[in-house]
Amino acid sequence: MNKFENCPMIDSKSQTAMTLINQSIDYIKQNNVPKLNLIWLEATGCSGNIISLLNGENPGLYFLLKEMVNLKYDNSLSPYQGERAFEEFLEALNTEFILVVEGAISLKDGGLYSVFARYKGKIITTAKAVRMAADKAKYILAVGTCSSFGGISSASPNPSESISTFDYLNDKTVIRIPGCPAHPDWVTGTIAHLISFGMPLLDEKNRPLMFYSLTVHDGCTRRSFFNKGIFAQKLGDAECMFKLGCRGPVTKADCPIRKWNQYVNYPIGDNTPCIGCAQDNFPDGMEPFVRY
Amino acid sequence: MSNIIYINPITRISGFLEIEVKIENNEIVDAKSSGVLYRGFEKMLLGRSPLDAIYFTERICGICSTAHSMASALCLEDALKITPTLNSNLLRNIIHGCEFIQNHIRHFYQFVIPDYVKGPDIIGSSYSNNDYRLPDNLSYRINKNYIESLTFSRAAHEMIAVLGGKAPHNHGIFVGGVTCNIDSAKIIKLQSLLKSIKDFVNTKMLEDVYIISQYYSDYFNIGIGCKNLMTYGLFDFDDKSIFYVKPSVLINGMKYSFEKNNITENVFYSWYETQSNSVPFESPPDTNLNKKDAYSFVKAPRYKGYPMETGPLSRMYLSGIYKRGISAMDRIVARALEADKIIDIVENMLNMLEILPSNQDIYEIPDIAIGAGLTDTTRGSLAHYISIKDKKIEKYDIITPSTWNLSSRSENGTRGPVENALIGTYISSLSSPVEIGRIVRSFDPCISCATHVAVKDKKPIDFIIDIL
Repeated sequence: MNKFENCPMIDSKSQTAMTLINQSIDYIKQNNVPKLNLIWLEATGCSGNIISLLNGENPGLYFLLKEMVNLKYDNSLSPYQGERAFEEFLEALNTEFILVVEGAISLKDGGLYSVFARYKGKIITTAKAVRMAADKAKYILAVGTCSSFGGISSASPNPSESISTFDYLNDKTVIRIPGCPAHPDWVTGTIAHLISFGMPLLDEKNRPLMFYSLTVHDGCTRRSFFNKGIFAQKLGDAECMFKLGCRGPVTKADCPIRKWNQYVNYPIGDNTPCIGCAQDNFPDGMEPFVRY
Repeated sequence: MSNIIYINPITRISGFLEIEVKIENNEIVDAKSSGVLYRGFEKMLLGRSPLDAIYFTERICGICSTAHSMASALCLEDALKITPTLNSNLLRNIIHGCEFIQNHIRHFYQFVIPDYVKGPDIIGSSYSNNDYRLPDNLSYRINKNYIESLTFSRAAHEMIAVLGGKAPHNHGIFVGGVTCNIDSAKIIKLQSLLKSIKDFVNTKMLEDVYIISQYYSDYFNIGIGCKNLMTYGLFDFDDKSIFYVKPSVLINGMKYSFEKNNITENVFYSWYETQSNSVPFESPPDTNLNKKDAYSFVKAPRYKGYPMETGPLSRMYLSGIYKRGISAMDRIVARALEADKIIDIVENMLNMLEILPSNQDIYEIPDIAIGAGLTDTTRGSLAHYISIKDKKIEKYDIITPSTWNLSSRSENGTRGPVENALIGTYISSLSSPVEIGRIVRSFDPCISCATHVAVKDKKPIDFIIDIL
């Protein structure tokens, strides 16, 4: 799969989530491979990544769950509740599964600022549930910026004493899929790659190169304005927003090429600067988001 | 003989929630709702650039992020003395309206349906509770629509992205209105997407809601709650074709206009060290897990001292559109009817748009200012308050809809609306108390929002012994 000697932008374009997914479905069918299970845990965050996943199209959620993986647990979608829901989680741990964690891991007061379940009278913190699952997972994905880098959940002064899932599981190989939220293609595309080809090529921060090899600035639709030194004065203007505080030059993500929500738009296309939401020092190192 | 039942996690909501009920002779005699997730946004916001509050507070909640961008923008405009043009205001109300549509479709199909209909089997092993009443053909129909609904909730977020860059966490709503420059291509795209959503809601969703309400008509008699209703107003335009509801309250059966100075936020039973009940708070209170009598970190907002239910049923009732009553099933029915109502309003707003550039400006941040942004949003009444000093955020206070609905007791012991709605409910099977989840979910709780300042009881086991 290493075509890195070619133009990385062309790679990003050709390796869309859908082509990967078609490859993985062919692979599943031709090789009679059983579908992998998926456990999706929402930790200390806003649950925006599962909502973003629901926004996916080609593949959509239904396709993902029908053709690619068996979703064994997710707090937002599970039909169960209470102890029965936790038992579903426990049963899934005895299978071969991909673990997705969205949100950061809150460590304050023994993890009691983020509680996953109460089982047989005992409080199971989210930190504990993530550890239980990580110890048995075949692959681990930290989805979203909170899970990848701490993100907004660990913003100064970090009242919940949160750290990233990546740092919390520092004894494991964790793939980072940052973004606030993560684009659904980044998640399903990575899962598709894991199914058919195993580990994707990762950069030095464990991000899949197929989605994070370029900065937003590299592929920006307003790059020619930057090159000519024509800058926007305020939001709503059509020119380069570098001087308004755009973080595109330091943010690795393929937003300008891929675009969001059925590929219709992205923040710069909406006349607002990139705020660097997929980068490791978001939000504290990316502020102010807007300056004049 | 009494039993204590805990349900944790309450799944199919946004965020983490524990419900604890005390049951005697199969009847709920006491109830406590407890958010079990804490992040502390009000502390994080101190010292940051005021304009950043919009994109920052959105990230309180992944399912209703547009709500926070809306309230935060209103709050900043109040502080900066800025009034958006009508066209900009329409555009951002279209964005906000689409967030309602996305939420209401997802809440009904993905969050509510599994309580009433067996299947669809796309998640986990085959689930069953002991109270599924639909014949197979209707279960099949609704499960098919569960899958189909994913297309239309997604389309509502696509509409937000057309005007706001992306969803969740849009960039388009900003001080002064919006950042997008509207054109005919965008308008026709939005109209086309909205038409497909409208067809689905009218031909599928409303009928599915009707089916559920017929087979579970006993839920019109339970989960009633405090019966005090509130809205900060929504789409409060002079033009009737885009008007929905004025700021108003219903207390003891009497309707009054809403007055924001009547809001207090009580921490008597909450683990906070403050004597203040003023809104906004003087400063984010420090936590104290050993505080006497406290059992929750969810605060207790009150209106004239009353707990208030807020959300789609409150709005539909106070607007005079929905009159049947107040109950768990009324909340579900009113939410679906509201989706239909808001689709019509968004449709009319799209027809009123003019092709004008966005009204953005270079905004000067004052050295000192205060502002308030109150609006109704998907789950009910949302307030943001800001205080600016030296061009930075000095204080930021947020009261979310779910803080109202899931509030803890106030100093006179009055329960919050969800707690109150559970009291008196007959539980058919103690081993499978389906009634509890159904009642709680009828409020569409968002714990990511409600507990941006809440934490969990540190000594849950001791606490059980106390109330036994």
